[in-house]
Amino acid sequence: MGTVHCKDVPPDQTIGDVRSHFAATGLQGERDHYESDKGQSTEQKQINLDGVKARVDKIYVDGLSRTKDDIIIATVRDLFQAKDFQEVIVGAHKVRGKLEGLGCFRNIGIYIDTSSGPHATPEGVEVTFYVRELKRIVGGVSTLVGNNEGSLVVQMRLPNIFGRGEKLQTEYSYGSQKTSTFNLSFTKPLQGNLNPVFTGTVFQAGSEWPSSGYKQIERGLLLDFGFNSTPLVRHNLQWEGAWRDISCMSRSAAFQVREQTGPSLKSSVRHILTFDCRDAPILPTCGSLIKLTQEFAGLGGNIGFFKNDLCLQSNWTLLADMVVQATLQAGFLTRINNSQNVGICDQFFLGGPLSLRGFQARGVGPHKDGNALGANAYWSGGLHLFTPLPFSPGKGGLGDFFRTHLFVSAGNLDNVYLGKEMPTSFQTLMRTVRMAYGIGVALRLGQMGRIELNYCIPVLYRREDQPNHGVQFGIGVHFP
Amino acid sequence: MPSVLLTESIALELGAQEPWPQDVKLFQPYEVEQILLPDNANCLAVQAFLKMCGLDFEVEPRSNAEYMSPSGRVPFIKCGAFVVAELDPIISFVNHKGISLSDKLDSVQKADMRAYMSLINTVLANAELYITWCDKTTLQEVTKPRFGSVLPWPLNHILAWQKRSQVVKKLGVLGWGNKTLDEVYEEIENCCSALSERLENRPYFFGDRPTELDAQVFGHLFTILTTPLPNNRFASIVRGYPNLIELCKLVEKEYFERTAEA
Repeated sequence: MGTVHCKDVPPDQTIGDVRSHFAATGLQGERDHYESDKGQSTEQKQINLDGVKARVDKIYVDGLSRTKDDIIIATVRDLFQAKDFQEVIVGAHKVRGKLEGLGCFRNIGIYIDTSSGPHATPEGVEVTFYVRELKRIVGGVSTLVGNNEGSLVVQMRLPNIFGRGEKLQTEYSYGSQKTSTFNLSFTKPLQGNLNPVFTGTVFQAGSEWPSSGYKQIERGLLLDFGFNSTPLVRHNLQWEGAWRDISCMSRSAAFQVREQTGPSLKSSVRHILTFDCRDAPILPTCGSLIKLTQEFAGLGGNIGFFKNDLCLQSNWTLLADMVVQATLQAGFLTRINNSQNVGICDQFFLGGPLSLRGFQARGVGPHKDGNALGANAYWSGGLHLFTPLPFSPGKGGLGDFFRTHLFVSAGNLDNVYLGKEMPTSFQTLMRTVRMAYGIGVALRLGQMGRIELNYCIPVLYRREDQPNHGVQFGIGVHFP
Repeated sequence: MPSVLLTESIALELGAQEPWPQDVKLFQPYEVEQILLPDNANCLAVQAFLKMCGLDFEVEPRSNAEYMSPSGRVPFIKCGAFVVAELDPIISFVNHKGISLSDKLDSVQKADMRAYMSLINTVLANAELYITWCDKTTLQEVTKPRFGSVLPWPLNHILAWQKRSQVVKKLGVLGWGNKTLDEVYEEIENCCSALSERLENRPYFFGDRPTELDAQVFGHLFTILTTPLPNNRFASIVRGYPNLIELCKLVEKEYFERTAEA
């Protein structure tokens, strides 16, 4: 930001006629076009903006209707601290980022001019932000195929509902298997440096797990408070109260699954710590992710456990466009007392294209009559090499969404008991490793998710497992 | 998926021909604090039937027995790989193994027995449901506390309300929705007098040996007599028929006390 290209700057004019117009895109904000009213010379010079004194006299925000003044004032206030013209430009850029972060506006333009009027100071400038507020209601109807059924999704969003960035979102889907999913969430960003956000969600969700022989309807309330302790470290404190109804999918379900059926109530507190310095959530090229989740259930209700889940991911770019990714997941669940149960839906499961490639969904670990029962401890890790497609077809266009994908993944899932048997059961968890390797193609779907088509070769598996030799297809958001 | 139903019923039929295994379990709700009048009657009827057949089983109480049951009603038995719920399917499951209480009866008597069994199902079972879920005092003082005893707050209230609306809907379809309590008592009175007339002074309905009908009558009447309710009129109606009381005492003595001693 230190240098600016300009056509002609007469020595007596410092910033008198300097106009800077920022376009809405971030790239153009880096380059400022100066134009002198008098001269038309095309000669290029570099001036140092640090030396150009400036004082922000006024800030206008144009286009506000229902957004409240106090949050706008709090957002733009820092700009008054600018002492030279470079600080004005950098500050205005930062303010635009913050305004975008409020989630109230569609596009934001910046216009900087010398100040005029009776109270204008000699070095004064006026900064104007042109904003367009989001519409009061945004909605949509779409169809969705997944989870063994097709469903119709109706969604509605009320952005900036009370003028301070509050958002009310609702989504309802009705599936061909007569499952209905409902979700209503209210988000309220709070003021402060830590970027605190409060979210309350009421939900109902139905899910079917044919590999475990049960289906589940979950209704509940989730309160979430998220904040940053440092810019890259985010904490989420949550309370969840969920009423889960589990029923068998067929008469032939394993009796161990049948025993778990019926209603249960979980009331739990959760802490999620996320450190994310990756450059993109989907197919990143550098950076790491650390996510640690701790959940304590048993504050009321009849479900009680303490659950820890860790997720690590690291990415390195080797040569041009060749990315190595290493991942590790591990989880452990303990009962807290004998009067409160742990349901089958609280257990860990492993296997499937989104979990451990080369195995069928929930295909690893304890099974009974073909139904996966889950276990209380697991670990899985993977090493991936992502490269562009051979001979790079469609480079710079469609081809950039595709990656060739070589992988080795390993993991295990088993019950680990505390106390005397702990060392032996941990040893079993380490010794009876499942492993698969393969090659495939990964397709990035925007920044939302990815599709994978892999040819998998399971090499280490046990008799009760359900390995998946050959082609495996996966679509999802969270890939290990 | 009709094919699955078909293969399941074939599997059930094939498996049913194997002999009675040792580890048969009968699942039902907890008897002391949870079970309700209609469920208790059905559980006791199945127990009596299995005992009359001389089949070994073990009663296993589970708080979620109703949800575990494939039909959604208690009791159900787990026999090897099979789970069979409710009295009629259990009777036919046992019949497939070549065991029957009514094989000595002629076809007229069999038809008679079926008719009386369906009389109990349509009158006594519905009356029990009505008293348990539609009578306000019984609902508040007995049904709700017992039903919710195994559930955490607030599920005990939500599920009791949900269950009640299911039962009310079912009774409405069967034409019991608009009945008053007195009309229900009248139905019970009629049913009991019909049973009493059929029984006369015989020990069992069809001579000296008990049949499925005896098991069912015992299950319902014994439960009605021994379940404490705020309004005792249900039991006092049954007490007006001494020969039915005698039947209950006989079945209890022959099949329940004997196993208790053993």
